[in-house]
Amino acid sequence: MSAEAEAAAGQPALAADGGVIHNIGYRRYDAERLGRWRIVQALTWHSYRAAFGLGRGGKAKVFPALLFALLCLPAAVNAVALATNPHSQPLVSYDAYIPALRTVTVLIFVALEAPNLLSADLRNHTLPLYFARPMHRIDYPVAKLIALSLAVLTIVEIPELLLYIGNVSQVHGAGQAWEQTLRLLPGLLYGAAWAVLLASLGLLLASTTGRRVFAICATGVPLFFSYILAHALAQAGQQAFGPAGPGQPSALTSLAGLISPFTLLGGVLRWLQAPRGVRVPAQMLQATTVGHYGPVYGAVFAALTIAAVGGLILRYRKIGVA
Amino acid sequence: MIAQPATTRDQAGQPESGAVIEARGLTKRYGLTVTALADLTVTIWPGITGLIGANGAGKSTLIKILLGLLEPTSGRAFVLGHDCVRDGFAIRSLTGYMPEHDCLPPDVTATELVTHLGRMSGLPPTAAKERAADSLRHVGLYEERYRQIGTYSTGMKQRVKLAQALVGDPRLLLLDEPTNGLDPAGRTAMLDLIAKIGSEFGISILVASHLLGEIEQICDHLVAIDAGCLLRADSVSSVTRATAALLVEVDDGIELLQAELARRGLGPVRFQRGLLVQLAGDATYDAVRDSVADLGLPLCRMEQRRHQVEELFRDAPAAPADPAVSVAPAMPGSQPTGAAGVR
Repeated sequence: MSAEAEAAAGQPALAADGGVIHNIGYRRYDAERLGRWRIVQALTWHSYRAAFGLGRGGKAKVFPALLFALLCLPAAVNAVALATNPHSQPLVSYDAYIPALRTVTVLIFVALEAPNLLSADLRNHTLPLYFARPMHRIDYPVAKLIALSLAVLTIVEIPELLLYIGNVSQVHGAGQAWEQTLRLLPGLLYGAAWAVLLASLGLLLASTTGRRVFAICATGVPLFFSYILAHALAQAGQQAFGPAGPGQPSALTSLAGLISPFTLLGGVLRWLQAPRGVRVPAQMLQATTVGHYGPVYGAVFAALTIAAVGGLILRYRKIGVA
Repeated sequence: MIAQPATTRDQAGQPESGAVIEARGLTKRYGLTVTALADLTVTIWPGITGLIGANGAGKSTLIKILLGLLEPTSGRAFVLGHDCVRDGFAIRSLTGYMPEHDCLPPDVTATELVTHLGRMSGLPPTAAKERAADSLRHVGLYEERYRQIGTYSTGMKQRVKLAQALVGDPRLLLLDEPTNGLDPAGRTAMLDLIAKIGSEFGISILVASHLLGEIEQICDHLVAIDAGCLLRADSVSSVTRATAALLVEVDDGIELLQAELARRGLGPVRFQRGLLVQLAGDATYDAVRDSVADLGLPLCRMEQRRHQVEELFRDAPAAPADPAVSVAPAMPGSQPTGAAGVR
């Protein structure tokens, strides 16, 4: 602060109403500065809130809240059913939950919120303001990826936990409660796979354009139509080729699920369930079946996730400075 | 003092202590054909420094290299003692950057945006709020700061851009065309603001502009670049001395006036609808006034004009005795002072 400003600071002026106005001049900031990791954390938290419309207008909150409530509904129905009829079996499984409902809600959530997290900064050319600050080029997409993954995780896992609470509250003894807990854990892990794959894929697709409406289309349309196509091909494979052997679907039917991320996730679940002998009826899963190709599903899942994350990071290496 | 053409200095050595910005043989090429910066060597000391050049001269490229956002093809640059290539992170925590183009989201308030960007500069939540309010107040936004940026005028948006550069309490501000799109009053206000930040807040400033007449008012030093090369770097006073010309327009009798001014040794040159004379202090004005009065001509315009930047920074400007050769060819691109154009 210059001597002049200090002099001004030392002489409070009298305001009209008798109050005192202090001209405090320019103040330096000498206190703690947060490091790179804490800045990424702040951006992640900001984006996570934004994914649910928090810190944005009222309209932005409607869809996330609606989708979340919709996904919680089966868990609530399950809890009520168990409470009224203690001898009934749980209606909803931890692993698959209600696949069609989860697919639709998560698809809409990702198609709406991935563009919300990215397109405004692209459209308004705000990125240079970020990149001119103490962060590295990779930090921005990584923060957005963590934020959207956590957001998807939130809307997928909280219904799982509600389901668990509903089930546990009706069982007797620690043994049964422990059994429920053991069944919940794979469900939570599976939900995490959903979160990471769909968030990375959604953000990569959304980062292609700064126009929000186009970004929503660019995200939603491929996710939706690949899902329809996977089902159509699986059906066609069944009708055209019939089973490859006793209890074995044709190769086309088994591999059709690789096309869509949702059926891919379903295939991964079936592959992992097989050794455990847990059988979820085929119609409850998105993919009709995976046949012998379970490991292929696992490999494609891993490759697609890595490719989407890598693609997103590469995309943000290129833009923002030109 | 601002510049040394320090071509002999050790290329791998340490940055000069006390220098705010130091570039050594800085070159940036895009592909094989486009050269944005060509072997630029310049040292900039604390204070307000103007970076002058036409559009495409390499001003923005230089700023992005200084921020560590672009990697130079060759050469080195230091900002506040940090290497731009290896230590961009440290530089970016000490500098504030105001981009040239529009970069503000329309659907948030200025307070929200500047607070958020303060957090991105590494401020804790409370400090970010306080400093955002302070910065917006310093740039002259008060109650408006709770309104969405989309409702702002261009001048207010430029102020928000300046406030976000200021929020992290930088040691150095890099301002890229801060008066872009502003009306004359807005330009003056923005320049006053920059001068205040430089003098009262004690923050060094590099302000890029293609309007020399504009920023010479507030700068201590000037660095002129053209096509990526350094034209000249010097203090404002030594650069702008004896470079102005006077445009005189009369409603009729221009031939008479030309003859009269020639007789008085001012060497008038026909330019557009008037006459140009080299401006050498108040005596020139007096001579023009006396000539017009003696001839009884209706004077309708007297205006100070400036040369193109290449003309201005050429080391040996042609003598005023032969302005037809040295001045006139450069004139068509020039504009009144206050907005002296560079091509």
